[in-house]
Amino acid sequence: MIDEELQDQAALYALGILSAGEAEAFERALAADAELATLARELRDAAGDLARVPEGTAPPALKARVLGEIAGARRAGPPVWLPWALAACLALCCGVLGIQQSRLRQQLLAASEADPLPQVAIYSLSGPDASAPGGRITVAWAPGCQRGRVQITGVPAAAPGKDYQLWAVDAEHPAPINAGIVRVDNQGCANVDFQPGTRAPHVQAFAISLEPLGGSSQKTGPILFSGKD
Amino acid sequence: MTDPDGQNAIDRALIERAARGEQAAFSQLYDRLSNPLYALCLRMLGDAAEAEDVLQEAFVQIWRNAARYDPAQSSVFGWSVHLTRCKVIDRLRRRGRRLRLYVPGDDADDPAARVASSEGDAADTVGRSELAQSVRRRLLDLPVEQRQAIELAFFSDLSHHEIASRLGQPLGSIKARIRRGLLKMRTGLEQWT
Repeated sequence: MIDEELQDQAALYALGILSAGEAEAFERALAADAELATLARELRDAAGDLARVPEGTAPPALKARVLGEIAGARRAGPPVWLPWALAACLALCCGVLGIQQSRLRQQLLAASEADPLPQVAIYSLSGPDASAPGGRITVAWAPGCQRGRVQITGVPAAAPGKDYQLWAVDAEHPAPINAGIVRVDNQGCANVDFQPGTRAPHVQAFAISLEPLGGSSQKTGPILFSGKD
Repeated sequence: MTDPDGQNAIDRALIERAARGEQAAFSQLYDRLSNPLYALCLRMLGDAAEAEDVLQEAFVQIWRNAARYDPAQSSVFGWSVHLTRCKVIDRLRRRGRRLRLYVPGDDADDPAARVASSEGDAADTVGRSELAQSVRRRLLDLPVEQRQAIELAFFSDLSHHEIASRLGQPLGSIKARIRRGLLKMRTGLEQWT
């Protein structure tokens, strides 16, 4: 049986009203207790049900805007060739050290069938010092269509109750822009497409921090990897 | 028929298809989630235009992160609600505002309060409507002090410390009220109460 104090924390966690420190401590407890994790999930769903209480109807025109934005994002840039071109680009980055960026861009230009051609910037991320986790992280970023791909090899999984989160450091935004959480598989690899929630026209660097499970709306954890193009 | 698990099974199938890029599936998911999420945004923001903006951001985020949905963490609806609430709070903090303090029972000034949409399969719509009615009944059935604490926690951006201060109650009492009330809200958790 879970003690009442942990049950209290589970309820507050489900409502999202714990402080960052309290949430972090609770997530450590979650990672170690399957029964507590089950209760937390049920309470989160109970909290979510509260959203059914207010009545209202979304404006009909909003659906078209949402679907239009999604479709527009899918059509932005050269969607047909960009994924495999990025994959090819990243495979080269991860397999051969010291590849010249200009050579990569030439390869992407040659692979493109679209006109006009977007720029693709390559960022190699590394840890600040020897204490950072090992592994290789490369980000390919197309600022024109605001999409990118992060490829990770040989990075250990995040600690229980934690997630790696990608951030874009943009010259026009004082705070890092959330680009989503990234989870590695059993081999420490990940290959994830991302699209930041906020437009980032002048990305100077990408970084990966360690955040509470599920990520944070603002960076709260330590930077483990960062890199400029 | 209220069947949260059945509703979630439908939502899960749709979000898995959306994660594979199926816009038709995402369109169906939008139909299922948009009304309660919009009503939530409107209740918390108090402004229809802002509610529309935030809801649009939320659904775009749902689309982009569909592949990251983890069923071990919550239902699809719970995940979407959490994401949407974060968007609401982010919007207000960027503008340096606090959430409008939700006062229980103040539907009178809600300009968009309407009957839920009838889009989608009729039987499924009825199911979701009955689920919503079930949630409202369970909330109303709570002791008033539990309902008050939960509504302040969910529809405002107050911390549990601030709720205790606002209600003039010890922190431990507030935490216990929230816990007991939330446990009663969830079908199948009766053994915990």
